Amino acid sequence: MTSPATARDDETPVIVGCRRTAIGLGDPGRGVFRRVRGDELAAAAIAAAVAAAGVDPATIEDVILGCTQPRGELGGNVARNAALLAGLPFGAAGATVDRGGGSGLEALVRGAQAIRVGAERVVVAGGVDHPGRGAAAHSADIHPRALAASSRGVLSPGLCAEHLAIRTGIDRRRQEAWALESHRRAAAADWKDEIVAVGGHDEGGRPATVVRDEAILAAERVADLDRLEPLFLPGSGTITAATAAPPGAGAAALVIMSRGEALRRRLTPLATVVATATVGLPPAATGRGALHATRKLLGKSGVRPEDIDHFELDETFAAEVINDVAELGIDPARVNPCGGSLALGNPPGAAGARMATTLVHALVRSGGRWGLAATSIGLGQGLAVLFEQAGS
Amino acid sequence: MTDRPSPQQRDVDDARSAADDPEAWAFETLRADRGADGIVTITVLVPGRAHNVITQSVLFDLEAILDQLDAGPPPTGLIVASARPGSFVSGADIGRLEVLVRAASADIEWLCESGRTLFARLASRPWPSVAAIDGACLGGGLELALACDARVATDASHTVLGFPEVKLGLMPGWGGTALLPRLVGPGAALELIAAGEPIDGGAAARLGLVDACVAPELALATARGLVERLRDDAARTARRRRMAGRVVLAPEERDFLAASSAAVINGRTGGHYPAPPTILETILDGLDVSAEHAARLEARAFARLLASPVTGHLVRVQRLAERNRRDPGIDCRSSATPSPSATAIAAPAVVGAGIMGSGIAAAHLRAGFTVTLVDIDEEALARAVPTILDEAARDPARRHATEDRTAVDAARLHPATHPAALVTADLVIESAVERTDVKLELLRTIEATVGPDTVIATNTSTNPIGRLASALAAPGRFCGLHFFNPVRRMTLVEVVRGPATTDATVATAVAHAKRLGKCPIVVRDSPGFLVNRLLMPYLHEAVEILREGVAAARIDGVARRFGMPLGPLELYDLIGLDTALYAGLVLADAFADRIAASPVVPALVRAGRLGRKSGGGFYDYAPEQAPVGRPGPPIGDATALIAPVIAPYRLPPRGDDDDTITDRLLLPVVLEATRVLDEGIVRDADEVDLAMIHALGFPPFRGGLLAWADDVGPTEIVRRLGTLADLGPRMVATQRLRAMATEGGRFVA
Repeated sequence: MTSPATARDDETPVIVGCRRTAIGLGDPGRGVFRRVRGDELAAAAIAAAVAAAGVDPATIEDVILGCTQPRGELGGNVARNAALLAGLPFGAAGATVDRGGGSGLEALVRGAQAIRVGAERVVVAGGVDHPGRGAAAHSADIHPRALAASSRGVLSPGLCAEHLAIRTGIDRRRQEAWALESHRRAAAADWKDEIVAVGGHDEGGRPATVVRDEAILAAERVADLDRLEPLFLPGSGTITAATAAPPGAGAAALVIMSRGEALRRRLTPLATVVATATVGLPPAATGRGALHATRKLLGKSGVRPEDIDHFELDETFAAEVINDVAELGIDPARVNPCGGSLALGNPPGAAGARMATTLVHALVRSGGRWGLAATSIGLGQGLAVLFEQAGS
Repeated sequence: MTDRPSPQQRDVDDARSAADDPEAWAFETLRADRGADGIVTITVLVPGRAHNVITQSVLFDLEAILDQLDAGPPPTGLIVASARPGSFVSGADIGRLEVLVRAASADIEWLCESGRTLFARLASRPWPSVAAIDGACLGGGLELALACDARVATDASHTVLGFPEVKLGLMPGWGGTALLPRLVGPGAALELIAAGEPIDGGAAARLGLVDACVAPELALATARGLVERLRDDAARTARRRRMAGRVVLAPEERDFLAASSAAVINGRTGGHYPAPPTILETILDGLDVSAEHAARLEARAFARLLASPVTGHLVRVQRLAERNRRDPGIDCRSSATPSPSATAIAAPAVVGAGIMGSGIAAAHLRAGFTVTLVDIDEEALARAVPTILDEAARDPARRHATEDRTAVDAARLHPATHPAALVTADLVIESAVERTDVKLELLRTIEATVGPDTVIATNTSTNPIGRLASALAAPGRFCGLHFFNPVRRMTLVEVVRGPATTDATVATAVAHAKRLGKCPIVVRDSPGFLVNRLLMPYLHEAVEILREGVAAARIDGVARRFGMPLGPLELYDLIGLDTALYAGLVLADAFADRIAASPVVPALVRAGRLGRKSGGGFYDYAPEQAPVGRPGPPIGDATALIAPVIAPYRLPPRGDDDDTITDRLLLPVVLEATRVLDEGIVRDADEVDLAMIHALGFPPFRGGLLAWADDVGPTEIVRRLGTLADLGPRMVATQRLRAMATEGGRFVA
């Protein structure tokens, strides 16, 4: 294969360590993290990633976190606060970024860019969200004229996904089958290296160490799908609570530096951030954001879909990922092999960083070479990142 | 078609008289003044109306003014405003619509075109025009404003803008569906027109519907500023070109808007209302063509909608509601009786802090009253107060209480544990438990406490007013005031006239219910009054069908598809089976010839299945859905659970199809309505329809129970009842119905 993507130099950004918290249920008052602050989750992920990378914390120059509801305990630039909470030296600055459901991946892109241009030597990138803790009152007030050439319905990602499902004929049964497989894969996956244990509380309020994503269902509990009502189109819809990712609370963080820096410090690069792509589409095409970003990324990097060993594709809605797989003509076995947001839960600001963390760990485990993570983002956007496993 | 009022009605005051002023012309409804700056201001004041509406005179007058302006020196700009406080121009009036419903389609299209052409003429003058909107700007009024180059709205609470036509089964007819998408985008336009909810000045400014939202005293100055700005030819031409041309919409956006809106509309209307889908189609078809072409599509669609029976029904229902608002309603037989003046209540009191008493007290707070609430049970009172304040301050848009209101309301709610607190009340609404002995005792106490002119009312659904009146020394000032649960949502109130109730008492009760924002109907004292009596056969039949082995979900599904908001068994669960059982016994006792008390409901009550409040009745409910008055989907058909309870009472299956089930549920109600009319329980068929719509949610698109019966036809109803004869006396056609079938009569004029 003649791929420009394989051309590397000392400035190439590499990931030297990454960790995430388990994802708790994100509904208000519920879930293992209901009594744990969101910034604590972020700090736990940052500290664990830095420790895993074996990097000297004094060399970290910036922390970039994605967050979609940056208020309250996640407010006031949570990236800086979480860095301090994690015990990083004052020299580690912080910036919070919001690209909706792509925020965690966006943080990674910004971090990689900072490394590539030599702005910083070591950056921690990640994301956090905790929708159940106070932030629920937060609802964006989008200017109606911003949607003059669109319609207000596009503000509902669910309605966009429903529209995609109807137009592509992806029926309820196929969506449910995908969701069930996602749960099966998630239940079978090996998470021990990836998840940092965080203290939470069980249903009875007893302290519990959380190392497993709370939304993953055992197969026998996934019965009764037929009784679920459509979420977005009462009566005629195809998407239910089983085929839309549950809101989640969690955080993920990745330590990025240049290849040259890693070699000088005798650290082991896990994966290279090879290329990234952002797309903007008509807002109604929100459900195709990951697909179009993936196409753009593959097009410019010269890597073919069939070369990708591991896809992490946005699984907020089963219908969207099913459509991605069909349009790209890829093997579903290579898509979200550890399960996706349908099973793990979806903390929107952290989801992209979670996907990247899972991808890097899985590539290292499997010895595969190419990995691609892509998310769809509200109001018609998509973001994709191409990784190459460092040892390949 | 013309609405020209007689000269006597004309309300042209001196200030508007302009006969001697060469720079002003005064017409019947419009007046034009030319200012020193050359700007002509047209002010609207339609005489003889509470609001400015677009009558034929308004159109004539506008045409005359445009003729004058074209003939004379051109103005430097035009401002359209209203001379009536609180009303810019709100659409057409209902009376006129009822005439139009019967007009030929070509005439309708011509009417649409003539109005539109006139507005288009205004829009194409070689000077800028600006609408200064203070007050309601609805329907045709908004189309007039859209014909201007720019608009300014005030931030006053009386300023609302919108297209409410859809609520009458209609759509804008003077270019609204063509112009609005060009101004604010198709999505926002569709929402405004298909949902029919008006918006305030601030929202209109955010949407781009108006150019500015300012305080009322700044409106005209702002309009003048806009005129100045639009004197620039390029700015004006750009606006006019945009309003006349096509709408650019990405194919994905168009497809999404079409599909998602169709699905949402279908979900909301159940496919029963033709206007919203027609509006969607008209807006979409009008995007890729010129505005003029789009407006012609609109006229055709408008005529099609006017001809639909649903529109006829909705227009009638609207007229019935308006009649009710104006009706003193003292007599359940006739509105012709001269009306004794109602006493305006200043110091209302409620006795009993249960669910109904709390709801009634909250309704008073919402309407701005200071209200005394008496309950001898101190704990019950303490529990009720926060509930009442919460409900009174509840903002329906935000679905929770607003705190600033709560503080004000708290000062206006006077809880008391002793009846002595009633001494200053001029109206006491007794709302204690439905036990005759308790009520009799309480009424005695109330009468002994209050002054001689105080009106005493009882909120009861089962106690005859005549019987309760026996407790009182002066029964003339006593009547029933039957609110429905939940009080906040149910608009109907039955004002029950007992044998001794005076006209003045009834008039006072009716007027008071209206001040609470309710729709009162006067009914004669008899078991079940009107609403429960009509409800009873519907509920009863559902249980009989259930006993024949038909699933609860199917029975309710049939009723919902007919258009009822709740199926009969869901409704049972909402009311509470114990409550319904008691009311049912009273009715079964009174009408034993056709109603046998069903054994199933008592059996379910004995089994502890009381409905939503106990977590299960005919269905099972999730705990958080248990609070009464918050209908949500039942979580499960409890067929398996209740089967053993029903088993001893199973009836042989009849194998009815869905249409037969619909007939079985509703035809006995029609029969009961004929008896109600025969007995003079209410004034006329219109009141029956109004009550069914307001109290039971009978689908307005069917025009009400008896309008529906007319549509089916008395002959056909008698025929269908014949096929149900095996079910016994409850399906036997009444004399009145048989006579109508033979003579070809109708219930509704």
